[in-house]
Formats: sequence, C-alpha cells, structure tokens
Amino acid sequence: MLRKTFLYNYYLNKIFRAPDKIVIRWGMLVPVLILMGIGFITLKYTSLNSSFFTSTFTKQIVWFAIGSIVFILAQWIRIQYFQEYAYHFYGFLIILIGITYFMPVIGGSHRWLIIGNVSFQPSEIGKLLLVFVIARVLADQKGNMNEIKLLLLILVMALIPALMIFKQPDFGTAIVYGFIAIPMLYWSGIRSFYLFSVIAPFVSIISAFNIYFFSLWMGILVLVIYFNQPKITIGVSQFIINIGCGIISPFIWYNFLYSHQKERILTLLNPTRDPHGTGYQVIQSIIAIGSGGLWGKGVGEGTQTQLRYLPVRDTDFIVSVIGEEMGLLGITIILVVFFTLLYWIIVYAGIISNKFSSLTLIGFASILFIHLAVNMGMTVGLLPVTGLPAPFLSYGGSFLLSCMLIVALSTNIINHHI
Amino acid sequence: MPKYKKIQIVLAGIFAIIFLRFYYLQIYQHSKYEAKAGNNSIRKISLHAPRGIIYDRNGIPIVDNRQIYDLAVIPFDVTNQFDYQMVSKRTGVSSSELQEKIAKGKKSFHRFRPVPIKRHINFETRSHLEENKLSLPGTIFSEFPARTYPDKAKLTHVLGYLRVVSDMTASKPNQELDYKLGDVFGFSGIERMYESILRGRDGTEFRLVDIYGIDHGVYKDNPGIQPVPGKAVNLSIDSKLQALIEELFIGKKGAAICMMPKTGDVLAFVSAPDYDLNSFAGPVPLELWEGWNSDTEKPLINRGIQGLYPPGSTFKLIGAALANEEGKVDQNWTVNCNGVYHLGDRDFHCWNIAGHGTVNMERAILQSCNIYFYHLIQKLSFKNWKAMAEKFGFGATTGIDLFGEKRGLVPGKTYMNNKYGRYGWATGNLLTFIIGQGDILVTPLQVTQMMSIIATRGNTKTPHLLLDNPSENITVSLKSKTWDFLQQATWNVVNHENGTGKAAKVMGCEVHGKTGTAQNPHGENHSWFAGYIVKDNVPILSLAVLVEHGGKGSVEAALISHKIFKYAQKNISL
Repeated sequence: MLRKTFLYNYYLNKIFRAPDKIVIRWGMLVPVLILMGIGFITLKYTSLNSSFFTSTFTKQIVWFAIGSIVFILAQWIRIQYFQEYAYHFYGFLIILIGITYFMPVIGGSHRWLIIGNVSFQPSEIGKLLLVFVIARVLADQKGNMNEIKLLLLILVMALIPALMIFKQPDFGTAIVYGFIAIPMLYWSGIRSFYLFSVIAPFVSIISAFNIYFFSLWMGILVLVIYFNQPKITIGVSQFIINIGCGIISPFIWYNFLYSHQKERILTLLNPTRDPHGTGYQVIQSIIAIGSGGLWGKGVGEGTQTQLRYLPVRDTDFIVSVIGEEMGLLGITIILVVFFTLLYWIIVYAGIISNKFSSLTLIGFASILFIHLAVNMGMTVGLLPVTGLPAPFLSYGGSFLLSCMLIVALSTNIINHHI
Repeated sequence: MPKYKKIQIVLAGIFAIIFLRFYYLQIYQHSKYEAKAGNNSIRKISLHAPRGIIYDRNGIPIVDNRQIYDLAVIPFDVTNQFDYQMVSKRTGVSSSELQEKIAKGKKSFHRFRPVPIKRHINFETRSHLEENKLSLPGTIFSEFPARTYPDKAKLTHVLGYLRVVSDMTASKPNQELDYKLGDVFGFSGIERMYESILRGRDGTEFRLVDIYGIDHGVYKDNPGIQPVPGKAVNLSIDSKLQALIEELFIGKKGAAICMMPKTGDVLAFVSAPDYDLNSFAGPVPLELWEGWNSDTEKPLINRGIQGLYPPGSTFKLIGAALANEEGKVDQNWTVNCNGVYHLGDRDFHCWNIAGHGTVNMERAILQSCNIYFYHLIQKLSFKNWKAMAEKFGFGATTGIDLFGEKRGLVPGKTYMNNKYGRYGWATGNLLTFIIGQGDILVTPLQVTQMMSIIATRGNTKTPHLLLDNPSENITVSLKSKTWDFLQQATWNVVNHENGTGKAAKVMGCEVHGKTGTAQNPHGENHSWFAGYIVKDNVPILSLAVLVEHGGKGSVEAALISHKIFKYAQKNISL
C-alpha cells in the first residue's frame, strides 16, 4: 500500500526517486567524520561543567544523529526537482526573509521565523536555494545572453537576499550570499576580467584608507586592465570608477558618519582598537591560538578555554579552542581534511557534464569554503568578527543540519551522474 | 589547465595563507602568546616567610609575629549590594573614595585584579568584615606579617623596628635578600643587624584563576618555591632584669647597661625615654615617627651607645690606674684636701667644699676627692693618660652588634691644639680631664666596658647582644698590683662606711663600683654609677647606670644599681 502510494503519487514522484546506486564517497565522508570527531572532543571538554543532558556535547551528538538520518534520506531526493522549481523556491525564500522583519528581535536581530515553539532561520536553508536558482539561470544559458547582462542578473539575484539579510542584521550570512555567486559565475564560463571588474571597486573602497595599500592596488588594477586589453573606453572608465570609489569613501567617512558608526566599523577592521568590546574576543582568541604552539596544551588543558578567557568557545571561536588545545597540529588536520573534502567536490564537479548539477556542486563547495575561511580568518584577526560558525566543528543544530545536507545532496548528485 | 584545477589551486593558496597565519602565531610568536596566556590566568602569589622570633637568653620570646591584613576588592565582583557604608565605617576610607576606586576599576582592563582599599587592618576589623561577606562581594584579604612584643621587657632601642620597602633604590639595606616592593625590612636595632637571619625567604605559588577571579588551584607546571621561615635569634638579654630596670627608669631619662664581664653578654640595655613599638601595626606610620623625632626628650636616641656624656668621677679610675702602673706615687703619697685648689689665678673645687683632709689614693677614690687628682695629674704625662683611657676602650666604639654607636672623645694634645690653639690651653684643662669633666665624652656602654675590664683584670670580651656568639677578646695587660688596687679601691667605694657608693651595697655579695657626677651646664648634673658584682669569686655582672639630671652619682644611680645587683645576686650565675 505504502509502496503503491509512493510509486504512483504524482507529487512524491516529483520529489523522490529511488537512488541510482549507493556508493559511499569516502573522499568526502571521511573528512566530515574527522571534523565531527574533532568537534565532539572539543565540545566534550568545553562543556565539562554543565550536566550531561544539557551540555552542548550531548546536544551536538543528537543533532548529528538527526543529521545522519537526513543524510541517508537525502539520497532518495530527485535532484532535478530543485532545478525545476528553483524560481519558486527563490521567491519563497525572499518572502520568508521578508516575513522575518515582522518577527520579534532575538539577540539584537530578527533572523528567525517563529511559529509556536518552533523557530526557524530561513537564511540558513536559503543558501542552498540560492545555489539552486543561480545554477538554474546559468544552466539555462545557451550562449544567447550577453555575458555582462548575465553577470549583472546573477549579481542582482544574489544581492537581493544578501541585502535583506544584511538588514536583519546578519553581516556574516550576507557575505555568504554575496560570495556564492562568484565561483559559480566563474565556473559557468564568464570571463575572469568581468568578475574582477565587479570585485575591484570593493577592494578600492577598503584600500583607500591606507595610501600605500591603495597605491599598490591601483598598480595591480592598471596591470590587470592592461593585460586584458578591453576597449579603451571601458578600461579608462573602470580605472576612473575605482579611483572614484577610493576617493569618495574616505570623504564619506570623514564627513557623513557619526563617531559611533565609525567606531563600530573600525572595530570591525581592527579589533585591538577596543579591548573591551568585540576586539576583546579576538585578542583572547589570538592569545589562545598563539599559546597553543605546535602540539597544543592538551585536550581540556587550555587555560584560555577552560578558565573562560575565550568567549563563545562552543560556536564562533571553537577553532581557537582547537588551536590552543591541539596546537598547529590540530589546525593542520582541519585544513588538510577540509581541503580534501572541497577537493573531491570540485573534482566531481569537473567530471559531471550536467551543467546544473556541476554548478550546484561548485555552489555547495563555495558555501562550505566561505564559512570556514571567514571563521578561521576571524579567530586569527585576519577578518572582522562576523559570527559565522565553522562547518562540522561549531556547535549549532540547524547549521550542522544544513552542512550535512550539503554533503548529502552532493553525494546524491555525484551518484546520480557517475 | 582545466577550470577545476584552477579553482583547486586558488583554494590551496587561500588555505596556505590561513595556515601561514596560524604558523606565525603558533610557532613564530608562540612564546609571546604563551606569556600572555600566562598573564591572563596565572597569578603569582607571594607566600610570606614568617620572620624569625627574637628570644631572650632564657628562651622567653620578646618579639613574635602576628598577622595583620590588607583589604582589597576585585572590581568585577562588586555588585549593587555592596555595602560601602560598612567598609567605610570599619576602615575609615570614605565611601565616596571607595565608590570612585571601584567604578574606575570596573572600567579597567584589569577588572579582575584586586584593588587595594586599606592596608594594615587588624584581626577584629577583618572579622567584622568577614561576617558580612554576603553584603561585601568581591572583598579579599591578604595576610601581612607584623611584629608583636609579648614580653614585659620592651627593649625598644635594641630591638628596633621594621619598615616597608617603598622605594627600591632608597631603602634597600641588603642587596642579596631580594626585596620586593611592599616587603618589610629591619630598619633599626637587632631587626636591622640580624636581618639576614630573621628575614627568611618568601616563597611563591602559581595559581590558576579564571576570568571571574575564581581560583582553580595550583598551576601544575610550575610548583613555585616554598617559603623558608626566618631563623630565631636568641639575645643575651635577660628579659626579667631588663623589665626591672625599665621599671626603675620610668619617669627618668638616662641609660643603664649590664653585661657579663667574662663573656661579653649584654644582660640588659635600657635607654630612657623610649617609644612604644606596640603603638603601630606593621611599619611605622610617618606621623608617629615624626612625632618622636621632634620630641625634645629625644626618645629615638639610643642613649646607651649614642648618648655622649662626661664620665665624671668614674674616670678617676683611669688616672689611678696610670699612677699605679707607672709607680709614680705610692699609698703613702698624700694630699691635703681643704676643698679648693689654686692653680694660677683659677680656683678648682672639690665636690666636698669642707675638704677631705689628708687623703691617699685609696681614700681619694673612696671619697672621690678631686683635689688629690688635681695634684696627681701633674705628676703624670698627658699623653700616657690618654693612652690609658684608650686602653680601657674610651674614644673608640666597643663594637657591640648595633648600628649607630658613637666613639665619644678622649682629648689629646692634637685635639686641644686644634680646638684652643697651641698656647690656648694649659694644665688647668688637664685638671678637669682627670676628674672626667671638660671635653671628655663617653657612652654608658664604654663605661660598662671599663668596669668589665677591671672586673676581669683585663680579660673581657666585646659586648654583644647575640647569645652564644663568641665575640672578640679584649686584653688589657697591666701589672697585677694595679688590678689589685683598682678592685680594692672600687670595693671600698661601695663597702667602706665613708664610701660614696654605699647605696649600691648588697649584703652577702662582693660589689665594686665608682660613682660619678657629670657636670651639666644645662641643668642638674647627671648621675653615674659604674660597678660590678662578684659571686663565688666570679664577676657575674658589670654595669653602668646614668641618670640624666640625677644629681650626685651616690644617690640616684647608685640606688638603681643596688637593685640591679640584688637581682644579679639572686638570679645570675655564670
């Protein structure tokens, strides 16, 4: 009866299908398990003081169990469903993010949809939906659209939810939304020079505050423009736009921003400015990592961690805990393992000829990559504190679920095509 | 190159940058951050080594330790419930000052570090605050060693007091003892002299403290150093005798020093007036010290070694010793004393205006006749007289184990020439010297030493305060008959019915002595008595007693000496 329902139900058949074959992709699964293992060990020792049932360690195990079930169930999903309904999902996502503005503020921002006791963060699963819609648009192109128009279209599609999320405010997730499109555009064959042109003004704005850095950047800009030999008008206008951005941003900075706004942004860029606020966390994080040395202080032995000098050690700064207690060795394992995971996803993306599937894999890899890079960059003071967790390491149920779903759907896609 | 390879290379590049950043922090700058992490969480706690206890010769503690406390507050832990009023009431720190300190601390990066509120609170205050701990969150006490003086004997000038190291360069008395700011050190007296024995060595302990200031036990990787307590010091002082003399000196000014002639042990050392070592906890407050310093009675001066007085008639023994040694006169050489002696156009008086009649040397000492000595000095050489005075230890420090001892003055030709010019002085000056007046200045300790020399026939030891610490031998070699004479003469002073020192006599014991009256241009004369007591043919105690403005030595000083001898007769044996 159930089998009959499943086989012949129109809607279920759209969403689910029997998997073509079950092949365990060890190159992707083993890294995930290693990362989870490191995460579990770390959480075990950061939650020593809380009781077993309420500790982050136990909760994370429960989420991992749920994630494993989701992982297996996801193998039955018919991936083309997301391609067919990508626009619907996209529209649905925009609406959901819109609704969050009418939801109560939790922790200083409204990112959550709250229905009864269940709260849900649409921007979390939205990352995947954005990948699908961009992959769909790019896959649909048969060379009948102007490259620049296509580029702008994709950027607008990414920036609409990105800006909405930025307004929630959730700076970190907004960055993820803004970033995803770039590797996918590159993968779809857009000329690198165009991508460069899109990114360049942002670099100009930031570099303008340091005259040496700005000069260096302008040099690079001129060289890139020269070697790509665009039309003279385009080359010159590009140069002018970047110079303009560079000049205008300090002008706005010094004339139109209130001091508290400046303070907030400066702390974002240089945490040592204010040792009591956000900067304090980064300083403690750097001390934790630096004091870990090559071998680390031993699991559960980190003074920065165990004596609570390190803030939010379960989530945002879990890499700092690993750096302190497992040393450069632990960090190296994370980097190698994570690189392996991304390496295989990219390899399969190169093999698969289906454009949508291939682009989706690249999008997924981008999500995982940007999270890890921003998170680790933040713990060592290379990037501002944005609150992006580290995939498979940080404590957090819904984020762990979406990370596992990403790997699950990747396996699904790979098994379907290869 | 396929696109996926390019992406992988870019990816590897970014991962390499992240790796290099971690490498830079964890390997290249590891030691820097290791230190920073340590500063965060490891607190170095100083473990105070208790200072050595000071005992008297019979093992009775004279200086002991007690704890006083420093009150501090960890700003981070202070909540709204904090009872500023109570702290203010108990410590005297104004409540607004408290609030300001804590508010400032809360904003500081070191908000987990204790902020000192009040130093040197006593045990009662601590107990009161401790009882109300709930309304005083964040308060902590640190222990601080102070001195207490449990015995009746005060021994103020000998013991000395402690000060706090407040300026590393200025007040560092002893380099190798490794002082830290806030440590105490002996500033005067025995506390200073035997600092290296008494001090001990502070230990350290490293404790782990979390961000809330909660202690997580000892830091395993560094066990720290155990404190080494200071060693005890046993003084040669007899605290009962000391207390007795101190009591006799209540309301008087002066000094009294008793010692064992054979060993050099100082049995009692009194300088009056003194100051109260118990009047402050821990280091001396500046106001108190300034008060003592400006006191016209000069309580800070240790009269026993720093007070300079003319020795008066006690110094006649020097002249007598010289005369005997050189054989210039014998017992049959007499002088007729009619109370006054004319030399040139000056009159020199005897203390007895009626005169002593015919006196030989023995009688001259017995009755302390000045006229006899005016005649005698003219038969002796000034140079030899000075040399004899120096043999008996005058004009030089005795070398007792205390700081600040004065040399005194035995004038010689050079001194007189310098002071009065080659032709500005004459025999007249010498007449005053031989009876211990004029320019001569001695300390009570020097006079005590002279008595020890006589008592031991020139075989005494340097006076010292540390028990069982053999000090240097002092050998004065004079002819046996000189010693005989000196001992007989001093015995007569006390025991003869006409002796000036009769008041010091003790039944059943052999007491020797010499009185003295030091002329004092500023008021009543100072009263001297110097002597020794012999028990079972052994001199057991020699002394010098000086009472400022005490009048004749035969009265005040001799009476005090009498009580000391009585004590010695009963309680002291070698």
